[in-house]
Amino acid sequence: MKRNTIVLGVVLFILATFAWAGWANFEFRQQAAQLRLASAERGMLVADPQGGPPEYVSPLVGKPAPAFALEDLSGAKVSLASYKGKAVLINFWATWCAPCKIETPWIVELRNQYGAQGFEVLGISADDLDRGDAKKFGEEKDEIAQSATKMHIPYPVLIDGATLSDAYGGLDELPMSFYVDRNGVVVAAQMGLTSKSEIEGNIKKAMGM
Amino acid sequence: MAAWGLRIAVVAAGLALGAVCAQEQAVRGQGSSAKAGAVEFLYPEQVTVEAGKPAVVKLHFRVAEGMHINSHAPKDEFLIPTTLEFPDGTGVKLERAEYPVGGEFAFANDPGSKLSVYMHEFEIEAHIRAEKGNHLVEAKLHYQACNNTQCLPPRTATVAVDVIGK
Repeated sequence: MKRNTIVLGVVLFILATFAWAGWANFEFRQQAAQLRLASAERGMLVADPQGGPPEYVSPLVGKPAPAFALEDLSGAKVSLASYKGKAVLINFWATWCAPCKIETPWIVELRNQYGAQGFEVLGISADDLDRGDAKKFGEEKDEIAQSATKMHIPYPVLIDGATLSDAYGGLDELPMSFYVDRNGVVVAAQMGLTSKSEIEGNIKKAMGM
Repeated sequence: MAAWGLRIAVVAAGLALGAVCAQEQAVRGQGSSAKAGAVEFLYPEQVTVEAGKPAVVKLHFRVAEGMHINSHAPKDEFLIPTTLEFPDGTGVKLERAEYPVGGEFAFANDPGSKLSVYMHEFEIEAHIRAEKGNHLVEAKLHYQACNNTQCLPPRTATVAVDVIGK
């Protein structure tokens, strides 16, 4: 009798444990789905199963590039929409970003090479700007201008790039580039320093070559 | 027979419990790593110094594996140097900080450009003067970190040290 009671108790315990496991599994799947949803809105690095460098996967690829209108260094508003019909490389960089300084000369060369065929670059600085303090804001803007001059950037340099962070899937790491085709659709995205040939390949993709 | 049933039941219950715990851990693990900073303050948590007299405190830090931060004297004018600051009004004054010399680092795609960086572990010598009493100082370490291909925005880490002036 006593043994039967123990066995019955254990069986009930097992049933309760499995019920709990089922519930926990449901919760787990819900949380995992939320994480997937969150990562779908933000870009992420995905490991290469072959052991190569991780690939940056952006939720923007295949979608229209989020519209924006930002100030350039002269204070004029520059919108992405004004480049419709051109292939555009949107390159997020910052004065403090060392790898940005390595890839910028490549981008300048490629812009000079393909510019006549309807290709343009928008260099968007992600440097923090203190708009509440006019003096500091002026100094920060000067620093961006000096850095752009030092790198001989011939294309428009826009400021306040951090305001586009959410729209462009998170700009937590730099450099970050988005390649937009002549119809305004993002055809490729890159995070981090890659190579000139990879940048060129994406430019050709945006140009439909 | 019942004893065997009991044993099997206990093993099954243990496996079910283990599976649940593993799932919970897997979900929690995915969210936590992204928030970690690139620099961790190691020690000391507490120091005792002679009140009113100059003293040297060696602050030890660790840079996350695969990352580097600019040294106090980066070679490019636009790169952000690592700096230490003590807030005012804590009863402890930072008279000066001695930073280590940075090691050389170059990105694979630009081996000719050498940067001056801190990697792995480094220490900063804080030359301080403390008033008498127990002071919890929340110093600030400003740094900017990168890995082999990308950079994170500039960040500030809190360096909490209990300074006892006797």
